[in-house]
Amino acid sequence: MKRRDFIKTSMAAAAFTAASQGNIFSAMAAPKLKVGVMIPLSGPAALFGPSTKNVAQMAAEKINSGGGILGRKIEILFGDAGLPPAEAAQTALRMWRGQGCEAFVGMHNSAVRGAYNNVFKGQVPYVYTPNYEGGECANGVYYVGETPAQSVVPTMKWLAGEKKLKKFYLIGNDYNWPRDTNVIAKKTISELGGKVVGEEYMPFTVDNFDSSLAKIKETGADMVLITLVGGASVTFNRAFASFGLSDKVIRLGTLIDENTLLGIGAENSKNIYSAASYFANVQTNEAKAFAKEYAKKFGSKAPVLNALSGSAYDGLIALDTIAERAGSLSTKKMDSVAEGSEWDSPRGRAKMSNRHLTLDIYLATAIGTNFKIVKTFSRQDPGNFCKA
Amino acid sequence: MEVFVTFLLNLIYISATLALIALGLAMVFGLLGVMNMAHGEFVMLGAYSVYVVQLAGQHFLWAIPVAIVICVMVGWLMEWLVVRHLYSRPFDTLLATWGVAILIRKGVEVIFTRDYKSVNQVMPGTIDLLGVSYPAYRLLLVALIIVLFVALFTWYQKSKAGLKIRAMVQGPELAAAVGIDTARLSRLTFIIGVSTAGLAGVLLAPLVRVEPYIGLDYLMSSFFILIVGGLGTLEGLLIGSTVIGGTDAIVSTVFDKTAGYMSVLLISILFLWLRPDGIFYRR
Repeated sequence: MKRRDFIKTSMAAAAFTAASQGNIFSAMAAPKLKVGVMIPLSGPAALFGPSTKNVAQMAAEKINSGGGILGRKIEILFGDAGLPPAEAAQTALRMWRGQGCEAFVGMHNSAVRGAYNNVFKGQVPYVYTPNYEGGECANGVYYVGETPAQSVVPTMKWLAGEKKLKKFYLIGNDYNWPRDTNVIAKKTISELGGKVVGEEYMPFTVDNFDSSLAKIKETGADMVLITLVGGASVTFNRAFASFGLSDKVIRLGTLIDENTLLGIGAENSKNIYSAASYFANVQTNEAKAFAKEYAKKFGSKAPVLNALSGSAYDGLIALDTIAERAGSLSTKKMDSVAEGSEWDSPRGRAKMSNRHLTLDIYLATAIGTNFKIVKTFSRQDPGNFCKA
Repeated sequence: MEVFVTFLLNLIYISATLALIALGLAMVFGLLGVMNMAHGEFVMLGAYSVYVVQLAGQHFLWAIPVAIVICVMVGWLMEWLVVRHLYSRPFDTLLATWGVAILIRKGVEVIFTRDYKSVNQVMPGTIDLLGVSYPAYRLLLVALIIVLFVALFTWYQKSKAGLKIRAMVQGPELAAAVGIDTARLSRLTFIIGVSTAGLAGVLLAPLVRVEPYIGLDYLMSSFFILIVGGLGTLEGLLIGSTVIGGTDAIVSTVFDKTAGYMSVLLISILFLWLRPDGIFYRR
């Protein structure tokens, strides 16, 4: 190829690329605001990636149709948070320093959150979206997920009262979220005058729960609080029902989402209760419109909506609301105005309190492979972890 | 008493299902020397066969022929394209079959997505046995596995094909010299091996979770069993499954699941170190 041809071709290509992205016309406008959305794209939690990805795009469109954040249209860059924490942190660092992301929204586990905190060190706004064990209040971090104080305490109390439950068995995977959740659950159980008849933590590699099921049966537990995650929860709940335990024993979980329930199956889901700030079939107008739009956009076969993807939507709205309120993306300014920020989302009305959200919590029961909301606990306080 | 009976039934169940899962790997590794890293993926294909049959509104039993057809096809293709070029190159087969495993996993993910699929129970409900209620399907499964193993053992010992395979295993060159088509026989062994994995997937599907990545779990547990039981004998396979399943069950009951899993790893390490050929040694 002659040199002149080469220049011509590459200029044409450059022009074409620019035009196809629509940049040629908006070259004069403010540069786009890149937001890193960190979700599990690989690893065991990758199951939750697709619906979260879709929902994040919906949130971005909504924000952009309202003029963007601080007058700048946003552009989402997805990063893999399904990697081991150290690698996930490298990805985030690259997106921040290399690709110029100016804010982050993350839907991933607590170990990865810890690694991100070490990278960001409060210098870039970071909204952490899924439900988690509570207890943090880092600079520049906004937590929009439910804490156990919101999801476990009221639902457990209500169920215990309704169903006259006395003996509680706690089973979870072996890491900080289940363990910290159960610390709070145990306190609630003792307040209720109930008894903890078993507490077990499973390594992630376990796929046989026979010995635990025998113990549950033996102890005569009338409620099992499940903090198993994903596949472990599916396997456990299937075996649980096959032993005929589902007729007598109530199961409550705060991470039994629509996907997990599909895996558990209609025949095995009797007496499963799930507590979260969002379910795909929450019947508020806002939630119904959201679900309808999602179905319209991504088709009826799209990955199911759940509390995790719902939280990611809120994460982007939170970023927008707080940044607008602060008039800046500086974490110092955002931290100082975050308190009391309010917005409406498919989850309902959210209000920031001590960097967490006051939220409505839904308790749903499984009917086949669908959730039906049986009780709404309105305006639940997340607790205060920001004490000096 | 009740606790003990439940424990005993659990132990029998876990040993039987582990033996079923590891059977195909034991055949392929023990007889052909091929470490088939895609073994678990055939179990997964079997489980998805049940899901597909269920989607089509057909009876569960249809999943057995469907799974066997799929596994024979995939197994044949895999042997023909990849494995047959690598016999007696153990490390290369390990890498190549690992590649195939990723391909199968991702292929299933593309077709069915990452979502969990729920397979309906075949025999819901429990049966009262010796004073405890135990899942009916589990009892049926154990009975089926026993029948399968007896049939397989008899076939291997009595049939002409079994005799030829034994001849091939003892001395491939000599077997070829007396007119045994070892290439064809190897292919047959490989295909039967992966098909039993598919069958295991079908039978287990109503009890377990179904998603594209379950194969890894089954590969892992099969490994442990082969390490303990050694290669090339059905007795070794059964003993390996009982030792692994039993240790896990006992330690998990007495202590907790973490201790149970750790003891399985510990036993595997001890065997690799002190008895690298397992309890039973073929040669």
